[in-house]
Amino acid sequence: MLEVKELYFRHKGEKRDILKGISFTAEKGLITTILGPNGSGKTTLFKCISGIWGNYKGEIKVNGISIDKLSYKRRAKLFSVVPQDHEPAFPYSVFDVVLMGRASYVGIFSSPGKKDYEKAETALELVGIRHLKDFPYTKISGGERQLVLIARAIAQEAPIMLLDEPTSHLDFKNQINVLKKIKEIASLKGLTVVMTLHDPNLASLFSDKIVMINSGNKIAEGSPKEVLTEELIKRVYGIDVVRVSYNGKNIIYPNL
Amino acid sequence: MKGIKALTILISPFIIGWIALFLGAYGVSPLMVLKILLNETLHVFDVGDIPEKAIIVDIRLPRVLLAGIVGACLSGAGVTLQGIFRNPLVDPFILGISAGAAFGCAITIGFLSFLPIQFMAFIFGITAVALAYTVARTQGEVSRLPLILSGVIVSAFFTALVSIVKFLVDPHKLQSIVYWLMGSFSLADWKGVKVSLLGVVFGLIPIFLMRWRLNVMSLGEEEAKALGVNVSRDRLLFIGFSTFAVAIATSLCGIIGWVGLMVPHLVRMLIGPDHKTLVPLSFAGGASFMIAADTISRTITSFEIPVGIITALTGAPFFIYLMKRGGKEAWGK
Repeated sequence: MLEVKELYFRHKGEKRDILKGISFTAEKGLITTILGPNGSGKTTLFKCISGIWGNYKGEIKVNGISIDKLSYKRRAKLFSVVPQDHEPAFPYSVFDVVLMGRASYVGIFSSPGKKDYEKAETALELVGIRHLKDFPYTKISGGERQLVLIARAIAQEAPIMLLDEPTSHLDFKNQINVLKKIKEIASLKGLTVVMTLHDPNLASLFSDKIVMINSGNKIAEGSPKEVLTEELIKRVYGIDVVRVSYNGKNIIYPNL
Repeated sequence: MKGIKALTILISPFIIGWIALFLGAYGVSPLMVLKILLNETLHVFDVGDIPEKAIIVDIRLPRVLLAGIVGACLSGAGVTLQGIFRNPLVDPFILGISAGAAFGCAITIGFLSFLPIQFMAFIFGITAVALAYTVARTQGEVSRLPLILSGVIVSAFFTALVSIVKFLVDPHKLQSIVYWLMGSFSLADWKGVKVSLLGVVFGLIPIFLMRWRLNVMSLGEEEAKALGVNVSRDRLLFIGFSTFAVAIATSLCGIIGWVGLMVPHLVRMLIGPDHKTLVPLSFAGGASFMIAADTISRTITSFEIPVGIITALTGAPFFIYLMKRGGKEAWGK
């Protein structure tokens, strides 16, 4: 379980807080989505939790233990991170990229061993992209690339998986495929999944819990049904909407 | 297929080295070269006291070995720097390390002859790369083009300092500085080979052991951190080891550019970017290339052309080719 408590963040030398005391929790086996419009502080929050920006105020706990002072190596064993856009300088094969998920298990003066190769193979299998194994990572589609990064996160074997806008560069079909895959793996592996999204409809379809943020504040936290009300969407996104129900899920329909 | 290519690159220094031993002003037959080598190492052939023996053992063999080790050092430093800076267009020469190391050597020869020359080369080499890196770094990111530009600036700065040293030293020492700066193996001897082994032990071997990390580090700082790599520490280690290898090379044979850029590229084209194989094959490829370039430099005309000229003549067109071919890919972020 992941617990974020009273998180404040501001860039060095700036007077304005980007995060203004955000708290929320994410549970094992469930998908928690941080939802908010562009510039709401989603990415900042994501970078604080994943440990890229360490100079925040507040506390982040995993299973009750504070992680604020952990080394990169220990942190990588708790969190796996699926970054947003990813362009390696060199055309590594898909397998090489997945194998890099094992970095925190490989000593500084050594290379991955047999066990690491097996874990990478299993991760490829689980995500269903084994056929891409030997392809150059730079030559596959955006949706496939996202799956490769998810496989890499699985090979990392961390209990918490963080995904930054996993659908932002994908077409409609791939958005659905990738999110379905994430949901499947979260429940299969019992992972705590935290992702950021900016589309309320995708959040509604695929999340167990939504944390809505706007201009650095948490606006609401709860199930998609509780959070995504017409009134709240109007307030946060500034547009007039209607909530439509289908198959037990809600869809936000803009009033045109 | 890949395996055969890799094996070919791996054994190429030995074949090219053997060819280099029998080419030269004094003709020695290929078979005689083998006999002399076997006589020296395993004492199986007794070739007697022939002049060929002295030419091979005292003159050509140390020269070939030195060229091979220096080539491996420069190419190994190149592949490492390209990996940590995620920039296929850098090498020790472009980043100013060679110029910095050369300045360290020049002031040692000129004024501070009581200090070990390799130590001074290392100190100023690391200063140069630290400068180039700091100048290019904005908001935690080091983009490709700024890094190359700052390397050019740092390189020019240290080259100017070398000129000041040349201007101030007494003419007797000036001659040895000028000759050494041109980049040549003509002064190679067994003592130089022994010194070059320092670069292997404290430069190439640690890089070889850490080579898989280059894969992770080449993804960029944020991603490598998220994967559990202590980026600042590892980057420092990689820069330290590769600068040490370059400092040793520069102290022995002056400034030789382009090897560290070209060889890793060619190897990457042939066998792919995975540093697990790329690093050792870049060592081997660098050794082959340097032995070949040195052999050309001493055999193509009746007098010797500095080997730095040969590498620049091949390297500059290669760099242009990479720029044109890479287009946006090479110059983008």
